Order: sequence, then structure tokens, then C-alpha cells
Amino acid sequence: MTILGSRKPGSTKNGSSAGQDRYTAHRQPRRGEMSALAMRSVQLLLTILVLGAWELLGRAGVIDQFFFPLPSDIFQTVWLWVSSGFVFPHLWVTMQEAILAFLVGAAVGLLLGFILARVRFLERLLDPFLQMFNALPRVVLAPIFLLWFGLGIWSKVAFGFTLVFFIVFFNTLEGVKSVDRVLVDNAKMLGASEKQLLRHVFIPSALTWIFSSLHISVGFAITGAVVGEYLGASGGMGYAIAQAQGVFDTKGVFAGMFILMIAVLIIDLLVNRLERHLLRWRPVRSS
Amino acid sequence: MAGTRPALSNNTGVRKQVSVRGPMHHFRSASVNQQGEQAAGAGREEAKMPAAQPGTSGYAVELTGCTKEFPTSGGETYFAVRDIDLKVEPGRFVSIVGPTGSGKSTILNMAAGLLTPTFGEVKSFGEPVTGVNRRASYMFQQDALLPWKTVIDNVSLGLTMAGVSKAEAHAESRRWLEKVGLKNFADRYPHQLSGGMRKRTAIAQAWIVNPDILLMDEPFSALDVQTRQIMENELLQLWQESDKAVVFITHDLDEAIALSDEVVILGAGPGSTVVGSYEIDIPRPRDLLDIRDDPRFVALHREIWGRLKVEVSKTYESALAEEGEAA
Repeated sequence: MTILGSRKPGSTKNGSSAGQDRYTAHRQPRRGEMSALAMRSVQLLLTILVLGAWELLGRAGVIDQFFFPLPSDIFQTVWLWVSSGFVFPHLWVTMQEAILAFLVGAAVGLLLGFILARVRFLERLLDPFLQMFNALPRVVLAPIFLLWFGLGIWSKVAFGFTLVFFIVFFNTLEGVKSVDRVLVDNAKMLGASEKQLLRHVFIPSALTWIFSSLHISVGFAITGAVVGEYLGASGGMGYAIAQAQGVFDTKGVFAGMFILMIAVLIIDLLVNRLERHLLRWRPVRSS
Repeated sequence: MAGTRPALSNNTGVRKQVSVRGPMHHFRSASVNQQGEQAAGAGREEAKMPAAQPGTSGYAVELTGCTKEFPTSGGETYFAVRDIDLKVEPGRFVSIVGPTGSGKSTILNMAAGLLTPTFGEVKSFGEPVTGVNRRASYMFQQDALLPWKTVIDNVSLGLTMAGVSKAEAHAESRRWLEKVGLKNFADRYPHQLSGGMRKRTAIAQAWIVNPDILLMDEPFSALDVQTRQIMENELLQLWQESDKAVVFITHDLDEAIALSDEVVILGAGPGSTVVGSYEIDIPRPRDLLDIRDDPRFVALHREIWGRLKVEVSKTYESALAEEGEAA
């Protein structure tokens, strides 16, 4: 969890002092290093190269088109799904499940994390049980949740919850426990009550930990939803992919994967934005 | 003279209460300040006369026979400090100097109420300290500003937590930021400031609640020499305008003599105790930039260093011995 160490220094918003200018100057590409634009073009070239080779090899019969449908066919299917509006209800179901799983999992993880971090007795009492549940491969819970909560969204929410909860919980616990002692002492000396300590010191401090795990937990929420749908559902991206698989429509499977990928990328971008805003006080920032 | 002391402690006690409840201008009124200064001046003068018997309720900080032990990982007990007696009168600037590992911070933390002594008693203005000492502010050696709050929110913290409205707290904070020369940096985050600026913010943060006691744990040790001298000068100026008792921890004897009314020497640790106490009778106001050439300074420095040297070399020798054992 050495998040700080792995981050590159970023330019700061108010960076006007000489020291900070020198700092930002460091971020200019070094001689011999590619500019961002050049890098993008090379990346685009690489994509075209790989997809082109795939397409050509498929058309030449080297790659079996049944198992690896042509990229052009996949994009056609994607376009068909998008233009006909077929995919949107499924995407919406998956997002609903993921969002609910994330919100509930994060809320319960936060709450329990804070309580256990502040009440040493409870932490010691519950530690082995939490470790046990965390050790359980979560996928095996999906069938039982399906029985408990039915084919609707709630079985997926429950499944995603078990994934998100533990990430948030352990990060919160660690975040609260690793708060700099001096910050706590200083706040106490300034007259902070236990509630104020929580609000001004512990929660903001733990937030850095939680946000650094946000990408992972959002990813897990979506994974939970899709895997749950795949195992049994009446709608959602996982369902759509499973349906396509059921009729050996590999184009449909790939198209579903592609759309899901784009959706997750967009969500990740939003999470990045949010993180950058909420952690704006931090000296180093992900770039 | 003896009569002034209870009046002083009453007076300061009332002010602290007001600062917690009421609007700022009440306790910052000129008359109160003047009174405080006079009282503080009297206190300082009086302290130089050993015959004066101050009432026990008069000490801003009073440690009696304080011993602090910590359990070690090996199951033994480690004596950080032993039998510490320390009395700091209101308005006095007292420095504690000692070699590395002599438990200087432990003493300060006991005075702050952050640590409870294993044996002995800590009192502040005659009342036993239980929990955090409400009449003291603390300046830490490390950065203790909340990194997620802007400079002005950090400075306001003590007031907002005491229930002062945000607008009022910010107004008072701006006054303080102006005083410490950070008027234009109110909306910065701590990481955007230099080390010296962060210390100024910390000073404003500690002083804004108008404490009767300031506990400072090597506050300037992380700064470069020039910045440090400037900060020392500014600290002294602020203190001279106030009536606060200061307990200042340092391992720099120059700094201790230049700033203080009294320098207390701690012995080599572990289990260190007070081995000497020296009155610093260099007249005030002092100019810290030239004080090191003052003949009185030189004489005091020689005298105190003669005592401190013994403890420092003891610490050094035991460290060497331990290294030898480890090897």
C-alpha cells in the first residue's frame, strides 16, 4: 500500500512560487523522450497494426473466425447493439447493480472500519471471523445469493457487496490506525472532542486510503455484477454475453466485452476526476 | 508581590473561558492585555528573587516527582525520566536542554496531559492535569498541520472546534496570519508552503486560542540556521507582547540561553532527571541576532555547557558501549 511512493509528482494548481516552477519544469519531457502527442500516434499505430493483423489473418483463414471473429464483424455487432438500443437496458441494469453494490459495500465497510479501528475490543473479537470471510473465494457465494435473493438485481448487489466491502473495510481500518500520531495529539491539544477528531483527522486521513482503493473497489463492484448476471439473471451485460454465448454468437460475446470495457474506462475516468478533486490537498498526484 | 499571583491566575483563567465561549474581541481587549503584561512582568521580576514564596496555585506548570516508565517489547520497563521536579511560573520562558534520549519530549507530553506519569503529579495553575491540559497549546517538532486543510482552516481549527462561528474564526485567523506574515497564503495547503511558513502557520494555530502555556518541542529544529534565527526572534517578540508561560525543548544550548529566563539541564538517559537549573539574567528585550557576542551570554554559555558537556559525553559513551555490545 505504498501509494505515495509510486506516484509521480504533478504540477500543482497554485504553483507560482519559484520552487514549484522548478518542480513543474522537471515534468517537461526530457531530451530523447517522446512528447505526449507522438506517444498517442504510436499507440494508435500499434492498435491499427494488431487489429489489422487480426483481420487479415482471420480473412486468410489462419485464425478461426468462429472463435476469433473478425474485428470488423465485432465492431459491426457493437454498432448494431448500440444503434438499435439493444444494449442500453442491459448496461443500465449492470450499472445499477454495480452502483448499489459499491454504495452499500463502501458505506458498511467505512462504518465497520471506523468502529473497529476505534474500539480495540471489537477489532480483536471480530478479526478471525473477518479474516475467514475474506479468505473465502467470493465467487462461490454467487449461487447461494441467487437462491436467497432471486434472479433480479439484489443477488448481484449482494455479491458485489461482499467484494467491495472487504476492500473498503480493510483500507479504512488501516487508514484510521495509521493516522499520524502527531496530528491526533495536535488536534487534541487544540481542544478536539472524539467526534471532532473523527471529523477533522480520522475521516480525511482514512479517505486517502479509501480513495486509493476506489479504482479497485469500483472495478470489483462491476465484476460482481457481471459475474452474478452471467450465472443467472434476466438482464444486464453479463446476461447479454451469456445469451450470445448460448447461441455460439462469439461476435456477440466480443461485442459485449468491448462495450463493457468502454463503460468501465469512462467510469474510471470519472473516478479519477473525483479523486483528484477530493485529494487536491495532496502534494503528489497520480498523472 | 505575593498578592499579585492569585489575581493573575484568576485573571488568566477567566480569559481562557471567554476565549472558548465568546467572540474574539472580548478577550483581546486592550485592558486585559495590558493587565496581563503587567502581571507577567511582575511575575518575571519576582522569579529572580529566590526568597519569594509563590503560592503553589501560581505555577503554570508544576511537575512534582514525576517518573515515566514504558514497557519495552522485551517485557521490561524502561525509565524515560525519573523524579522530575519542574516549576514554571506564569509568563516565564523556560527551556529544557538535554542530550539525545534524555526524555525531553516525555516531560513536555506530561505537562500537556498527553502522557500520564507513572509516579508523581502534574499540576497546572494549581489544578491536577487529567487528560489534555486545556490551558496549554503545543508546538510539535514535526509538521502537525492537517494536510487536508488550507492554512486558514488550520489556523482556525482551535476556534472552530471550540464552537466559534466560521466567519468569526476566519476573521481572527486573518489577523494572525497577517501577524506572522502569511496574509497572502491563507488558501494554500500546507504542502505548498516552505518549512518556515509551515512553522509560522503552526505558531498562529497554537497562539490563536490564547493559551496560558505554550509547550514547544524543538519547534525550529528542522529549519535552516537563518530561518531559525528569524523565527526565534519573531517568537520572542510575540511572547514579549503576551503573558504566556513557555516551556521550550531544544538540544541547542545557544537557542535556549538566547530565548529563556531559565535553562533546565537534563541528565543523560535513560531515567534522566534534572541536573541543573540556571537563571538567564540577560536583560530584555534581547536582539537575538547579536546576542551571541554579549559577554553575559558567553559567560552563561560557558558555565552551562560545562555541566551539559558531562551529560552529553555520558550519553555518547553509553551509545558507543551499546554499539560495542551489539557488534
